[in-house]
Amino acid sequence: MAEPLVRMENIRKSYGRVRALVDANFHVNEREIVGLLGDNGAGKSTLIKVLSGAVPLTSGDIFIRGKKVNFRSTSDAIAHGIETIYQDSALVTQLSIARNLFLGREPIKPPRFLNRMDQEAMNVVARDLLKQVGISKNIPPTTPIGSLSGGERQAVAIARAMHFDSDLIILDEPTNNLGVAETQGVLSFVRSARDSGHSCIFIAHNIHHVFQVVDRIVVMRRGKVVADDIDPKKTNVAEVERVITGMSDKEIRDAVVEGKHSGA
Amino acid sequence: MENHSLIQRLIARPEFGPLVLLVVEIAVFWSINPSFLSPQNISNTLAFTVELGLIALAMTLLMTSGEFDLSVGSVFGFSPVLMWTLFNSGVTSLEMGFLIALVVAAFIGLVNGWFVTQLKIPSFLVTLGMLLVVRGTALFVTDGFPQRTWSAEGSWLAEALVGDFFIGPFRIYMSLFWFIAAAIALGYVLTQSRTGNWIQAAGGNPNAARARGVNVSGVKIGLFILSAIMASLAGVISSLRTSAANPNSGTGYELEVIAMVVIGGTALTGGRGTIIGTVLGILILRVMRNGIVLIGVPGLAYNIFIGAIILGMMALHSWLERRHQAGT
Repeated sequence: MAEPLVRMENIRKSYGRVRALVDANFHVNEREIVGLLGDNGAGKSTLIKVLSGAVPLTSGDIFIRGKKVNFRSTSDAIAHGIETIYQDSALVTQLSIARNLFLGREPIKPPRFLNRMDQEAMNVVARDLLKQVGISKNIPPTTPIGSLSGGERQAVAIARAMHFDSDLIILDEPTNNLGVAETQGVLSFVRSARDSGHSCIFIAHNIHHVFQVVDRIVVMRRGKVVADDIDPKKTNVAEVERVITGMSDKEIRDAVVEGKHSGA
Repeated sequence: MENHSLIQRLIARPEFGPLVLLVVEIAVFWSINPSFLSPQNISNTLAFTVELGLIALAMTLLMTSGEFDLSVGSVFGFSPVLMWTLFNSGVTSLEMGFLIALVVAAFIGLVNGWFVTQLKIPSFLVTLGMLLVVRGTALFVTDGFPQRTWSAEGSWLAEALVGDFFIGPFRIYMSLFWFIAAAIALGYVLTQSRTGNWIQAAGGNPNAARARGVNVSGVKIGLFILSAIMASLAGVISSLRTSAANPNSGTGYELEVIAMVVIGGTALTGGRGTIIGTVLGILILRVMRNGIVLIGVPGLAYNIFIGAIILGMMALHSWLERRHQAGT
């Protein structure tokens, strides 16, 4: 089998006495959308924070294309092609779309010592990218992010990751608080990102959204990966819910019945 | 139609409110007392305006990055005291004393920036502490008395900073050109350079900026240093022009400077700043101070007007902001 794009082995992460990750194993292949599911506190966020360099791991190894890496900060992860898009925290609302797209990597107009941004070039690329992700309709690249909708902001963040050729785009709850049409928009950006050669990790509470877009589902429970090869085409939502909660149909029914008894 | 949208765009700019206020202010003072626009009065007003203005320009960038500096007034007073003390005691030449004063100011800015970015203490507390340390030092080394100042005439430094000449009936000080140069340079940095993009991002959403590899702490420390150096330069210019070095001078300037910046449309919370607005804000406050005396309002009433202007402009900015966000 080909070496996966990202492989995480025996990852442990403890916050004091709380063990958030217990020997978690996880991988993402090239050109693959992985849906990461799990109940609250299952360890999804911690796993993603470790992978994006936001928190250091306690023990374990991360490999990118088979090479061991050591992330000390989010910039380290970005330099290795891993881009994480958190809702609302990825963009500067006061700055324009173009300025956000190029933040930290602004093209410079010669002569270099004047340190002058090439704003025309930035606008041209931004207009093109907006068209690619499908929000070109009358939104000039000089529009401040603050006047965009939630879905449009996600699109800008995804467009940025695509433009700078991140190999892996991590989307943390990208469809939260979005309307139906906007959700479909975000899902189609994710698909187009995959089709242009990127991999994605998609985290969402709404299992239906995950089913619509991912190639493979990974489920976490109590700090461990308990299933990592669920094919969304060969299963259904109820089945996956059972894996997430770790109970059989009968156990779920019993839990409900027990609840009724104790409540009565 | 095209015309309409051009006017609308002009009105939507944050600098539009301050511009209207300045024009109204000048018109009112001039109509009550025509000598308000006499060459002598304009020259006098400009001379002092640019000294506070230099500090306000640097403060604009610092506030855009989400921080502010309360220690500028004390640095304004301390730097000339240090320069004259070194010169009077025969330790250094005047020029070397000036250079040392700038380096010490840069160090003060560095310490401010280090406390704010590395120890994560709010700039309000850090620079309040620094205000007391610097002012206290100035008072201690001088025993609270003004320093003996030598008439600096003939020194090339004095000529370059505050040399004066007449253009027609207007008496112009060299410091006006330093102010104009600083306004153009810092306006360019804020709007055209990539550093400006980082400054705005650092104030708007520091986490997002950091995630993109922007050195947010570096940007802020640099701006604290700039703010202290500009305050030091302004203090020396003022001291050379008036041939005085009083350890108490500059008291209260920090708040006047911050008022100039926010009246011009820069957000106190960071992320958005405008040098043109600050230049207008500087003129609004200085014209007010000068004008109300000329039209016969007691000078002690000055603060009432300044306070009213700040409240009025803040209300206008917040109204424009909401309209801008609600509108399409």
